[in-house]
Amino acid sequence: MAIFTYNDHDIHYEFSGEPDTPVITFINGLTQRTDHWIQYAKNLNKAGYRVLSYDLLGQGTSSKPVLFIDFNENPKILAALLDHLRIQQTYVAGVSFGGIIVLHFGIEYPDRVKGLIPMSCFTEMDGQLRYIGLNLYTGMVNVGFEYLVDLLIPINFSSAWIEKNRENIPLLKRTSFSYNDLYAIQNLIESIRDFRPFTKELGKIACPTLILNGEYDCLTPRWAHEVMRLNISNSRLMIMQKVCHAFTIEIPDITCRVIADFADQVETGRWGGDKSVWIAADDPASEEIAFPCQGNHTRAVPFMKKY
Amino acid sequence: MQNHSQDIKAAAAEYFIKNQPGADEQTKISHFLINVRNANAMILSKNEIQPLNWLPYSFLHKQYYKDLELATRLHKATKWSYNPLVYAEASRRNIDFWNKTKAHFFLMGFFSQDRTFFEYLALSHAFMSEIRLIPLFPADYPIDEPFMAALYDAEVENGRQIQTQIRLLKDMDLPISRNEKEAIINEKRKIVAGLFENLLQSVCRS
Repeated sequence: MAIFTYNDHDIHYEFSGEPDTPVITFINGLTQRTDHWIQYAKNLNKAGYRVLSYDLLGQGTSSKPVLFIDFNENPKILAALLDHLRIQQTYVAGVSFGGIIVLHFGIEYPDRVKGLIPMSCFTEMDGQLRYIGLNLYTGMVNVGFEYLVDLLIPINFSSAWIEKNRENIPLLKRTSFSYNDLYAIQNLIESIRDFRPFTKELGKIACPTLILNGEYDCLTPRWAHEVMRLNISNSRLMIMQKVCHAFTIEIPDITCRVIADFADQVETGRWGGDKSVWIAADDPASEEIAFPCQGNHTRAVPFMKKY
Repeated sequence: MQNHSQDIKAAAAEYFIKNQPGADEQTKISHFLINVRNANAMILSKNEIQPLNWLPYSFLHKQYYKDLELATRLHKATKWSYNPLVYAEASRRNIDFWNKTKAHFFLMGFFSQDRTFFEYLALSHAFMSEIRLIPLFPADYPIDEPFMAALYDAEVENGRQIQTQIRLLKDMDLPISRNEKEAIINEKRKIVAGLFENLLQSVCRS
């Protein structure tokens, strides 16, 4: 297990792939750990990329401070980890809580990023998101960690996935209960208690940015990603079909292909950050991994697109 | 330090894949856990006879009775060993617990908003966050028999009870710097983690 020391804290990381190939860094969601990116590392190593993943402070096998975790420390920790590994530039992908860190990192360290892939995240909160967040927090502290996982399952996954994994869900819950420490996850949640909208800062992001959003993500819905698309000049929005908030777990092969395709386009100078909207194929073996969106992507009512 | 601790936990996890906790192991575990619960309850008992603001009083009152409940439930759920040597060793471990945690220090006087209270909160936070047995068992290990159910319920309950410690540790206004606070917390965690690791090494030797 690789450990990097940052201000007396241990940061656990995994780094794989052929030397001198481009690096894609993955940032965990709230209750995730580096294990979640094992398949991504395999697929993307094969596609010619090195993959770096790490546990945030408070997660997995990284240190878990008891008193406070400063959210603003997260980009600094990633920059220090990149320095430690002598990585000058990287693509940075992250989901949910990790997606917010991706955007902050892009704003604060523009020279360190080749491209950004924020997934299932937000730059501002609306009433629904604020209330859902509050309910998740209250459920965790008043009932327990496994209840938080229960609350997250219908938010994170489609009914099809839930049915398919019905027998594994109790195991998944217990595993999550085991490797997470409630007080540490609570610290992570509380680190964004004073969350301030940062949509206005998105204009500082100039690097290629691929924004990924699940078709049925009810936690961070379309509007949250639309805000990013409109405010990041060199961006595209990709809608992932038939999935919810945690599509990185539900459709890893498709997500890997989308990410590899994005990085390939940037590496070969074919990337066009034109704020266009795309839909990812729902078959990982599909010849074309994505196609342009024809309808109004901001509505559930299928109106025709008007620009 | 963290690696050493992880090695011990990994060895314990490996042990529990192959071995179910029998009477000797259950006795060692329960002896240790009941001692921890009793120590916390003894300290919290003074909460009942001292003036205190209503909110901290009600939370600490709840924790006091929860500790008693969980300790007595564990008494009932454990298959107690017939081996006197197990008890001799467990008693030595309990003496070690009192010596190292200096928990007796918190039995004296009343709670007040001071460094001593902060130190107690840090210690009790460590009790509830460092001592976790359920993660050392396979994720599909059945928790429907009394001993495992008692362990599991206690660890889930810890998540609720620790909220008192979390709020007071974070929000209590004290003339102690953040660095000092962190040093106190880390010291208490290290002590409790060490005691827990000793228990695990003993259990896996059974």
